[in-house]
Amino acid sequence: MLHNRIFQFLLIYTLGLLLLLAVKYIFGLSDYVIPGFWLLWRTAGDVSVRYAVDGVNTLSVAIIGQMASILLAFFIGIVGRQATWLGTIVKVAAYNVQAYPIVAIAPIIFILLGDGFLSRLFIAAMICYFPLLLSVVGIMSEPVTDIEHFYQQTGRMRWQLEVKIRAFENLSKLTTVIAGSSTLALAGTIVAEFIAANAGIGYNIRIALYQSDLAKILVALFMIGITLSIYQGLLEILGHSVRKAWTS
Amino acid sequence: MQVKCRNIAFRYPGAEKALFKELNLEFIRPGLHALFGTSGVGKSSLARIISGAVDAPAGVVADDAQPLLYAHNLERLPDWSAIGDQLSRVTPPHNRDKIERLLDLCGLNGHTGQRFSRLSLGQQNRINLVRYLVQDFQVLIFDECLANVDELRRRNILLHIKAMYPEKMFIYISHHVIEVATYCRDVWVLRDSSKLPQAVLTQGLDLFPDQQPASTRLHQVMLEIMNAA
Amino acid sequence: MWKSTALVSFLVLLLAPKSAMAADEVTYRLKWLINMSTVGDVLAQSQGFFKSEQLAVTLKPGGPERDAIRELELGYAHFGVASADQVIKAVAKGAPVVVIAQLFQINPLQWIYFEDNFTLNGASDLIGKRIGITFGKNDEYIMKALLNQSGIALDQVRLFSVRLDYTPFFHRQVDLWPVYANTQGIEIGNSLEKAGERIGFLHPVRFGVNFVANSVVTSMKRLADDPELVRRFSSALLKGWRAACDPGFRDKAIAAVQRYDRDTDRDTLKVQLQETQRLVSPQGLKHIGDIDIAAWRQTEQIMLTYGQINRPVGIEKYLIVP
Repeated sequence: MLHNRIFQFLLIYTLGLLLLLAVKYIFGLSDYVIPGFWLLWRTAGDVSVRYAVDGVNTLSVAIIGQMASILLAFFIGIVGRQATWLGTIVKVAAYNVQAYPIVAIAPIIFILLGDGFLSRLFIAAMICYFPLLLSVVGIMSEPVTDIEHFYQQTGRMRWQLEVKIRAFENLSKLTTVIAGSSTLALAGTIVAEFIAANAGIGYNIRIALYQSDLAKILVALFMIGITLSIYQGLLEILGHSVRKAWTS
Repeated sequence: MQVKCRNIAFRYPGAEKALFKELNLEFIRPGLHALFGTSGVGKSSLARIISGAVDAPAGVVADDAQPLLYAHNLERLPDWSAIGDQLSRVTPPHNRDKIERLLDLCGLNGHTGQRFSRLSLGQQNRINLVRYLVQDFQVLIFDECLANVDELRRRNILLHIKAMYPEKMFIYISHHVIEVATYCRDVWVLRDSSKLPQAVLTQGLDLFPDQQPASTRLHQVMLEIMNAA
Repeated sequence: MWKSTALVSFLVLLLAPKSAMAADEVTYRLKWLINMSTVGDVLAQSQGFFKSEQLAVTLKPGGPERDAIRELELGYAHFGVASADQVIKAVAKGAPVVVIAQLFQINPLQWIYFEDNFTLNGASDLIGKRIGITFGKNDEYIMKALLNQSGIALDQVRLFSVRLDYTPFFHRQVDLWPVYANTQGIEIGNSLEKAGERIGFLHPVRFGVNFVANSVVTSMKRLADDPELVRRFSSALLKGWRAACDPGFRDKAIAAVQRYDRDTDRDTLKVQLQETQRLVSPQGLKHIGDIDIAAWRQTEQIMLTYGQINRPVGIEKYLIVP
């Protein structure tokens, strides 16, 4: 699972890189437009350790942000699953608020929270929160009648049991959504770093962009891709283990 | 102990045709009764109405003193633990002594360590029935709960349920005319809403263990049921 | 009959004024969005200076993700504006680019500060101060070079990573904040002065750091293949910049910029224009566009010192001085 992810990423990255290099050599472009292989190699040697550390820094913010958004999405999803007025309001609010692109309100977040850790965390959490919320609300609002019927008939149904049944029955969907949301969390963190933070791989990309240094950007993209592949692979393994532990 | 339906009219939202028009029927005594009818006449819908799973239209009268339960053959047990564990967890303490006997009756004794999804369809239906039978109930409607179970075991289960729960009322929904005619007492035949009356009462043989049906009488009851349908 | 018609057509073509002939289509990629820093460019367009040179110029605003040098090489633009550090980096990586004019004689990048906070008499006043810089951008290297030339070690000041949000400066968490003196500097200065604050600017050039700012670039190939086009473009463009520095064109210059920069009021634009004129023509109108070779050499040296290029590029070879 993990090595598949890494292999897929390496394959796609290599293909992308080969395509870029082919364009460069076919059209005789300078290293400024598309860096040559040796420049890339040299740049990777210069910055890869620093970028790897920054990649892990970004990933750690993304993980915390993702965890926060999972907790929040489940909380709102559980409250919003009920066909009560509160549930309806929560659901409607969730659907409406998610229509706002977070990147557009990011500047307000930076003004209010500054450009440190909190802003990165908040934006990462917000970007992966809404898709998670929609999935969780969808899953939690959908009764699993063939299982729930007995508990309702016998008066045993409690909200905890209802949530447990719905989560269990949609475990594959939930783990897929959670694994997928890791991409959004990482993308959110990188966007936040790119816009206004002062740490992380997104910040490095911004500096590289200032310096018109595509080689550094390509190395940073590699670090992002490999970090994300490992994280997603680990999440999938975790999801698989949870499923196995719960069902075997 | 009684379940009465008086002049029930019901139509599913968006449906062109009414499912029930002036439907009248009643189950008023303990024992194994049946709700019989061709597919689509509304047997399961009526069960849902009676059990309160669907908002009941005016006219349904059920004794609220003891719970009325409705079990059907599409139910599943959650797969997060073995069926034995789940059965223990949902059985009231004073009914625990029945578990062993019912599992034995249903041929599930060696399967309690398994998850629901690993059981055959017949086993799944039987374990579902068992968990209802260990509840506190006055009336149990069981809707095709013995589907995919072999003939001999069905007979055995129906006969022993009657013997074990002489004070309870069971409403058995089935398409199996021989079974209904043989083991049930009041057999309400439900018909299309274009026919009046929509429900017709016939009497089954209501056999108990060690009793054998006279074949001519059984044929006669079956004929009555089929004619009523 | 057809012979006489053809003759008339030929004579009409021969005698037609230059403007009636097909103009050369030219794409000009700016460095940033259109504001007072591009006043000469928009004037060259609006006053018809390009048209007079038989050029149909499409002005394309720039932005952080735009890079005129890359566009020149990829053939998406004929001319562009790039900062000196971009040019030097591009040359170091083999980009076939040349500089045909230097728009700012003094780099507009300066540092704003509250005068009641401290008095800036000399570089030593910077010791212990919290100085905003945008890591990775040329203000980082300018400030580092300034400190280095003044004998101040980096650990004697506190460098603060700057973003577009000025709140840390307004809250005085940062003592000096980098701004473009002719645009942001005026806007922030105005609002602070209205609030009763006295503000000052740190000019790196006064501390001996002359880091070149925006310049006009084209590709070597274009210069070799069509020097006449380059000459016509350069001539029209500099005419626009001379007009921008000419008091007679003041209202036209403000109107030309205001067409694009609608959020800045006329009074602010007026002050921005005055400041821009000071940066573009400190030695008078006839030196507009002059390439300051010494400043370019110093810029190259600063970039070399701070590892932005790994070898000297001999930037003067890429400066086309008429």
